[in-house]
Amino acid sequence: MAPKARLLVIDDDPDYVDGIRGILTAAGYEVDAAYNPKEGFDALRKKTYDLLLLDIMMGRGAEGIMVARKLRKDPKLSQIPVLIITGIREQIAFLFPGQAIHPHFVEVDELVEKPIEPRMLLEKVEALLKAAEGRKAKKK
Amino acid sequence: MNGLPTVLVIDDEEVVLDSCRRILEKEGIRALTAGGGEEGLRQARELRPDLVFVDLKMPGLSGLEVIDRLRAEDPGVVVIVITGYATVASAVDSLKRGAYDFLPKPFTPDEFRLIVRRGLERRRLVLEAESLRREKELLRENFAAIVSHELKSPLAALQQSLYALNAAPLAGLAEAERQRLQKMQARVDDLLKLIHTWLRAVSSDLQAIRGDFRPVDLGAASARAVETVEPHARRKGIQIVVEGDPGPLLVQGHEGTLVEAMVNLLDNAVKYSRPGGKVFVRRAREGDRVRIAVGDQGVGMTPEEIRRVFDGFGRGKEGTAGESGHGFGLAIARRIVEAHGGTLGVESEPGRGSTFTITLSATKAGPAG
Repeated sequence: MAPKARLLVIDDDPDYVDGIRGILTAAGYEVDAAYNPKEGFDALRKKTYDLLLLDIMMGRGAEGIMVARKLRKDPKLSQIPVLIITGIREQIAFLFPGQAIHPHFVEVDELVEKPIEPRMLLEKVEALLKAAEGRKAKKK
Repeated sequence: MNGLPTVLVIDDEEVVLDSCRRILEKEGIRALTAGGGEEGLRQARELRPDLVFVDLKMPGLSGLEVIDRLRAEDPGVVVIVITGYATVASAVDSLKRGAYDFLPKPFTPDEFRLIVRRGLERRRLVLEAESLRREKELLRENFAAIVSHELKSPLAALQQSLYALNAAPLAGLAEAERQRLQKMQARVDDLLKLIHTWLRAVSSDLQAIRGDFRPVDLGAASARAVETVEPHARRKGIQIVVEGDPGPLLVQGHEGTLVEAMVNLLDNAVKYSRPGGKVFVRRAREGDRVRIAVGDQGVGMTPEEIRRVFDGFGRGKEGTAGESGHGFGLAIARRIVEAHGGTLGVESEPGRGSTFTITLSATKAGPAG
């Protein structure tokens, strides 16, 4: 059976990646992982992904935010829906003082907190994919 | 005070300046002197003395004004006033402005030496307190960051794997193993919640919620809080009884944090209730005030325990089912209620139980109904 969709996870914690990968593959998705922003961009250039799951607090700080900003500027990659998975809500607010908790780094994104329950994870992924489908159909 | 302590004497009498300087230098103290207020302030700005003597009666800038400006520039500087005709009134005035002590003229070298020593000792304490305060602040900020990342990340990874295990087809697992898995998940969940609560206690700026105030029905909010805590209470065989005014109790506030405050009170009541006991939620409107009281018939507190109950870091006693008492919940509840301009009071008696009461101002022009 062909996979439902192809997803990329960028997160510097291999154990965490393993945890969500287990849930997503069991649900029929094909999941690749990158463990730092550079690997992540390499993967995004090599293959086409339907959705990106992005960790914020990577490396020495909020490197995930840099990834999101770079994505937003890239005409090809800016259309990828992004599920932002973060350890800490308050730190996000901290990084963007005066903004709502949900900062919309990219055009389409959702923010969830680690750990994320399987049902919620699958729901969010599905919803983001469906919304992206809809946008694509409209363009054609 | 690195190196030599520095003392500045501001007085318009040459004789006083000379004799003070001689005494200070003999004591191994760096002595600065100034013949007037302006000159003294200039020296203070440049040379940052630890202790300043200011003559109250000088031509030009008055002594009191000099004190104000000295302290505005360095709130930690210790100021002692020299008063010519030991009038109590002027000395009291200067103490009110932040002077540490006063020295009546004329004074003997011994009197001067003694008060210099006291003044410098005071300065040492002020500096020490300041550095401790800074250290505490730093610790508080770093603590939040350390806890959030260093503790939360591995736990989140662990929990995510447990979720994955639980979600996978569990063909190979016996029922007992599955239950074990669920227990692990519940415990990790508790830990994550605890960390979240710590973070709330140390890092969140509750004053910020004021921007989001809107009319909230405290009665409905309390019902939501009861709903949250009920499953846990039921497991302990504790009944939550809601009584009092069934109508809406409108206040101006932030619903999310108000519910959180009441959940914390209810959690606490359940924690210290004996199995089979009751927890009461009483809703009341009294004039222009709205009250929600959360009471239990549990273990209660001694006056000493009551005094420390909102401190946060103090470790409370164990709950009736051995739950740990980390005490943050109540501290957070109090901060939330106070951010709403209300009060959180407590009454308790050992062996009889405790009642925590939230009092807030009612919204006057609430919609009817």
